[in-house]
Amino acid sequence: MAITQAMCTSFKTQLLTGTHDFTNGTGDTFKVALFTSSATLDATTTAYSTSNEVTGTGYTAGGNTLTNVTPTSSGTTAFTDFADTTWSTATITARGALIYNSTEADAAVVVLDFGSDKTSTAGDFTIQFPTADASNAIIRIA
Amino acid sequence: MFSVDVSVSADPIVAIHTTDKRGFTPEEVASRCVDKLMSVSETAHPLIKEQAKAFKRDMEKVVAYYMREAISSDRTTVYNALVDAGQPELADAVRRL
Repeated sequence: MAITQAMCTSFKTQLLTGTHDFTNGTGDTFKVALFTSSATLDATTTAYSTSNEVTGTGYTAGGNTLTNVTPTSSGTTAFTDFADTTWSTATITARGALIYNSTEADAAVVVLDFGSDKTSTAGDFTIQFPTADASNAIIRIA
Repeated sequence: MFSVDVSVSADPIVAIHTTDKRGFTPEEVASRCVDKLMSVSETAHPLIKEQAKAFKRDMEKVVAYYMREAISSDRTTVYNALVDAGQPELADAVRRL
């Protein structure tokens, strides 16, 4: 069992079928769910599942709803971003996360590996997304 | 033939920030805020890079200052809501935070 950071292969296919809409406000609803180190998540993950999802005070199954940032481009690279998200007053431990599209049958988008277990105790647990530019944004098409 | 790259690196690409029995300080949130507002290219000219980093540090101070102002103002709102709810002692405890 392991969490391997990857852009899900099914998501790549769905990009070609126009499944996902990242537009702020009018686009699909994307969520991020946290998982323990017992989870198996990688490029073959196709949808959100509650298996080995984090449990604890301040965390609800399914995770947090993300705020989309309307896709843009710089040079020849298109990219999109999400606003940072926080679980407040949470007592949880997570090793990774799955971003998924709850509008489209919970279709998997990207698997995130935190590198090690991260814990908050009666505190805040925040995911900070990388700078939204052509070199660092969370989802880039180059 | 055209190729499109949508892969991600194996290294962690998101930063995780956690706290233990407290919330984030205005300075901690300001740092994340400024990270979102601007980035400094590692390939930029050294003088420009240093100037940009200095500007970023100044921005952090400004954002943190206004966050403290917002927190203080919100406490005033909470204080008055608690007084209106007949909880003057609790209101005073919040005011003293």
